Amino acid sequence: MALELGKSVVDFSLPGVDGKTYSPADFADKPVLVVAFWCNHCPYVKAYEDRTIALAREFAGQVAFVAINANDAVKYPEDSYENMQARAKEKGYPFPYLHDESQEVARAYGATRTPEFFVFDQSRVLRYHGRLDDNWENPSEVRQQYLRDALNALLNGQEPPVAQTEPVGCTVKWK
Amino acid sequence: MRVQLLYYPDCPSHERALELVYEALQAEGVRADVEVVRIETDEEAERYRFVGSPTIRFNSIEVDPQPQLPYRLTCRTFLREDGRLSPVPSLTMLRETIRKAMEEEEEHGIGTG
Repeated sequence: MALELGKSVVDFSLPGVDGKTYSPADFADKPVLVVAFWCNHCPYVKAYEDRTIALAREFAGQVAFVAINANDAVKYPEDSYENMQARAKEKGYPFPYLHDESQEVARAYGATRTPEFFVFDQSRVLRYHGRLDDNWENPSEVRQQYLRDALNALLNGQEPPVAQTEPVGCTVKWK
Repeated sequence: MRVQLLYYPDCPSHERALELVYEALQAEGVRADVEVVRIETDEEAERYRFVGSPTIRFNSIEVDPQPQLPYRLTCRTFLREDGRLSPVPSLTMLRETIRKAMEEEEEHGIGTG
């Protein structure tokens, strides 16, 4: 079961593709933290990749994005640490891309899909959970910008207009 | 024409893929039923040469064949003609594959009905 709205951020300490280790405390200077469960191989991640990168760049001054890949790299070798490094470099990820090899962090968050977004406010309380928008197939036909709306609301001291949506994507590949 | 759509239920793209297949068949004037096959085990993936969901075949011709990929339970990525990566093929990709299958049928004197 996914982390419930109103719950505090689940702590983690995970290696990034840049060789550093990251935890939520590393992003304390930003009023909003987005934790995205992510991977290399999933077509839904690929469909949302450019949109997520653009959003992270747009909100870079006030929102910290972090992507976590927990997939079993034995059955899905595209999701290995080395391939994560390559993908982050190729696409110029503007956020840390972390490897949850033990899958403990994904389990603690109750993540089930990639991509799946958890948004925490300044007190690091969960205020939005779900998908990025309402159209994975065609960016030009998006009508509801769930994640963007949640970020804008939180930065303006308001409630996200929609606090929870069903994540859409590939299942997390458990060992 | 034999039309097959193979899917892995954990991957949510198959419903939209099925809509697109029917749309493409209609656009090409082909009347055919779509055989929908649920793939749930690694053994079934091997048996059906399933590299990801959805796998779509018109006769024996696969949409966007990716023979380099292993047979496994996963979602499939399609490279659309506009350069975007997508969990479903574009209508253009489907229609082009249907046309290839029709050409093959004509070569072998098989009806399309």
